[in-house]
Amino acid sequence: MFGGMMPFSPVAEEIIPDFWEKAPWERHVVKRVLHMVAEQSSTAMEFESDSFDSPPYNGYTLFRPIFDRWLSHEAQKAGATLLCSCLVTNLLWKGKKIAGVTVGRKKGNVRAKVVVACDGVLSFLAKEAGLRTDFIPSQMALGVKALFGLQEALINERFNLARTQGATCEFLGCTDGIRGGGFIYTQAETLSVGMVLHLDALKKSGKEPYLLFEEFIGFTPVRRYLKGARLVEYSAHLLPEGGYGMVPKLFTDGMLVAGDAAALCYTNGLNQEGMNLALASGFMAAETVIDAFKRGNFSSKQLSQYEDRLKESFVLKDMKTFKKAVSLMHTERLFSAYPQLINRIMEEIYRSDGKPRRKIGKIGWDAIKGHVSKGDLIADLLKGGRSLIW
Amino acid sequence: MVVDDLFEFNSFRVHHEPHIRVNQDICSGCTHRACTFACPAHCYKWSEERKKIDFAYEPCLECGTCLLICDRGALDWNYPVGGFGVRFRLT
Repeated sequence: MFGGMMPFSPVAEEIIPDFWEKAPWERHVVKRVLHMVAEQSSTAMEFESDSFDSPPYNGYTLFRPIFDRWLSHEAQKAGATLLCSCLVTNLLWKGKKIAGVTVGRKKGNVRAKVVVACDGVLSFLAKEAGLRTDFIPSQMALGVKALFGLQEALINERFNLARTQGATCEFLGCTDGIRGGGFIYTQAETLSVGMVLHLDALKKSGKEPYLLFEEFIGFTPVRRYLKGARLVEYSAHLLPEGGYGMVPKLFTDGMLVAGDAAALCYTNGLNQEGMNLALASGFMAAETVIDAFKRGNFSSKQLSQYEDRLKESFVLKDMKTFKKAVSLMHTERLFSAYPQLINRIMEEIYRSDGKPRRKIGKIGWDAIKGHVSKGDLIADLLKGGRSLIW
Repeated sequence: MVVDDLFEFNSFRVHHEPHIRVNQDICSGCTHRACTFACPAHCYKWSEERKKIDFAYEPCLECGTCLLICDRGALDWNYPVGGFGVRFRLT
């Protein structure tokens, strides 16, 4: 399952020239909207740029089953062998070195000098290789998503888009106090609508994700986007949300870990990235493997180059830059108290009821009083600052 | 309600062997039964009558939520055999 928007990544063009002209995508994203939602009101911040409207586009919405099929055909053209319907059950070991994988079939041993484990968020292979420890619920978020069909013209009209322009919308304050958020992504003739919920917070809440989803699509701004849309598909997936601190050891004798399996995924509240990190990490894993073959050396020491490459690139640099955002994203107030506060302030700014108007400082102070303590507010501002500003 | 239809739109190729096995002895001592509400496919239900978890692996979306929120190790969790399980067309 994929949200989602694939941010532009130059690495893709290194693999396949004119990658983004050939790849099957749905819309190119020119507009990013952040909604802060309260029970009866919502405040939105919308960013749109003409520079995102000319190639190379800044981000794309796409369908993974279609995109992956295309990419795998390109890989096969370049000489790769694709084996589908082969669940990797275990690693093959030669002493303490990894020497391939076992797939759940007769004669299912696939031997290899080096394995690149891209087995997704739960990566049982990284666990078996001793590269990661057990997960804890606070490191993970559940994403639930429904795909709705809607005429292209209606999508363009409702999101104020033209041609293949696309928009992404994130929603804060729509999760009944559970840490997480909602989203809408526009595809050509469909909308991906869903929520991301931190597992520890979901567990504590005692609530069903699909009922929270039902509530979410009932919020006024969401409901209007979805009017007349018909349900097409429903899916669920986990997201690694532990940030830099969750990244496991990335290499061992005969194996590398990439993508979600290496927890290469982050959000800082404004950016949500994963697929570009996965693609880039796969690319760097491939470079490392090519080097290893040149030297005939598949030892942990040789393969440690992979980590160096990731550290020099945006992949681990970005994850490190937003290392502290993990604690910001675990601040409960961000998901209910603050969106409500912002909406209380906005409502008083705009309300006309015959009473004398007040300046924003006074409105703000009254909106905070009784809802957020001074200490919490200062602590959260510092946390937000450290995560995003300095 | 959209929720009523939500589970009707996925197709599955169900293997005769469950890919997740639930150890009911462990579940009987569980106090939170978080799997019964947190699973996005509603695969787990608590049966008051039989005092056990009713578990259906067939509609599983293979997300791993149950594995993460079960703090007692009651689950033997695997992906379905290759070629089986949920089949997403577009997502």
